[in-house]
Amino acid sequence: MTRHHPDSLSLMEYSAGNLSEPHALCIRLHLDQCPHCRSRVDTLNSLGAVMMDQQPKVSVSDTSFEQLLARIDEAPQTSQPVVNSPRLSPLQKLLGDDINDLPWKRQLGDVSVLDISEKFPGQEERVVLQKLVAGGKAPAHTHRGTETTIVLQGAFSDSKGVFNQWDFVVLTDQDVHKPVAIGHEDCITLSILSAPLKLTGTFGRLLNPFLR
Amino acid sequence: MTTLDQQPAKAEGRKDPWGVLLEKVGKTQDRAAYHALFEHFAPQIKYYAISNGIASHAEELVQEVFISIWRRSCLYDWRKAAASTWIFTIARNQRIDMLRKMKRSSAEMAIETEDLWQIPGENEDEPVTSLHRLMSERRIRESLSQLPEEQITVIAKVYMEHKSHQMVADELDIPLGTVKSRVRLALNKLKVILQDQNV
Repeated sequence: MTRHHPDSLSLMEYSAGNLSEPHALCIRLHLDQCPHCRSRVDTLNSLGAVMMDQQPKVSVSDTSFEQLLARIDEAPQTSQPVVNSPRLSPLQKLLGDDINDLPWKRQLGDVSVLDISEKFPGQEERVVLQKLVAGGKAPAHTHRGTETTIVLQGAFSDSKGVFNQWDFVVLTDQDVHKPVAIGHEDCITLSILSAPLKLTGTFGRLLNPFLR
Repeated sequence: MTTLDQQPAKAEGRKDPWGVLLEKVGKTQDRAAYHALFEHFAPQIKYYAISNGIASHAEELVQEVFISIWRRSCLYDWRKAAASTWIFTIARNQRIDMLRKMKRSSAEMAIETEDLWQIPGENEDEPVTSLHRLMSERRIRESLSQLPEEQITVIAKVYMEHKSHQMVADELDIPLGTVKSRVRLALNKLKVILQDQNV
């Protein structure tokens, strides 16, 4: 049961189509599991439709509709009805069927990471999977920018509370973050880092490659 | 859903006129209905492209959106979204898609635009009653008419000009916090804000 949701401003940026691809992915993964936020996004999408309706209108070229019909008639393959076939989830597309079975890089003790930023070419943010073994602890750290995280598997707790699968967490430079994986499963999260991390503990230098 | 099916006349009464046209396109490839939708929505979409800073591709965006409407209309379910909301999400996705393709080849994209931004009613098992959806559009119009101009301006920039809250703040020369509080006030009125964070 999801308890931690994206805030309304982020959902609005999502609905408006203004988020970066990694951020949109985090929201999409949460929406798949959260009827409550889906309903909020429905309302925001309707807000978008109403805004579009209340703005000025600009006439299209005289031949625009004819061109459309010509395209439909001449290229049946581009105008064929879409079949609503079951699709792979975005996560499967990106990472395959088992997120436990990835080329994880063991960092220190309980933490493994996998940088998947290259799957989002042209994006400035770093996109990182992090895995904390069941019962394991991560070293305390703060963030220089903002870190947006969604829990993909398992659960963790820190000073802000307990975060279960599909929970959404945004941490800023004000937060000292010291997560502990709880439950029987390894905890796997997907995080977007807008700026490098800053370590607060003694492990800082060791962890530098990971938290660069 | 069953109750709706048992009362076709009543259910029919709740459809919006654009939804009726969209269903005709979906079921019988009705070109007159398609044309009526084009007349109404194409000028909105063209302005949407221009305000989003892709004026030189505005006609192209209109074309892509309407090809997409033609192909997807068979999936449109008026019980899941009002027609204008559905068309807005298609316009938004085509705009995103166009910008993505300008920047890189599709081979480089591990994930499609629609994996990130879904069209309502597709890949969604959950039934939602039409009453809820259509009320929601009417409620938005009513709520918007009561909002101060400064709040509407901010929302319009986010939706129509593809601007982040920070960019809106820079442009209007007001603090980011002010932009966010204007948006929050508006969203509160529209009941998007969670009443209880633990819902």
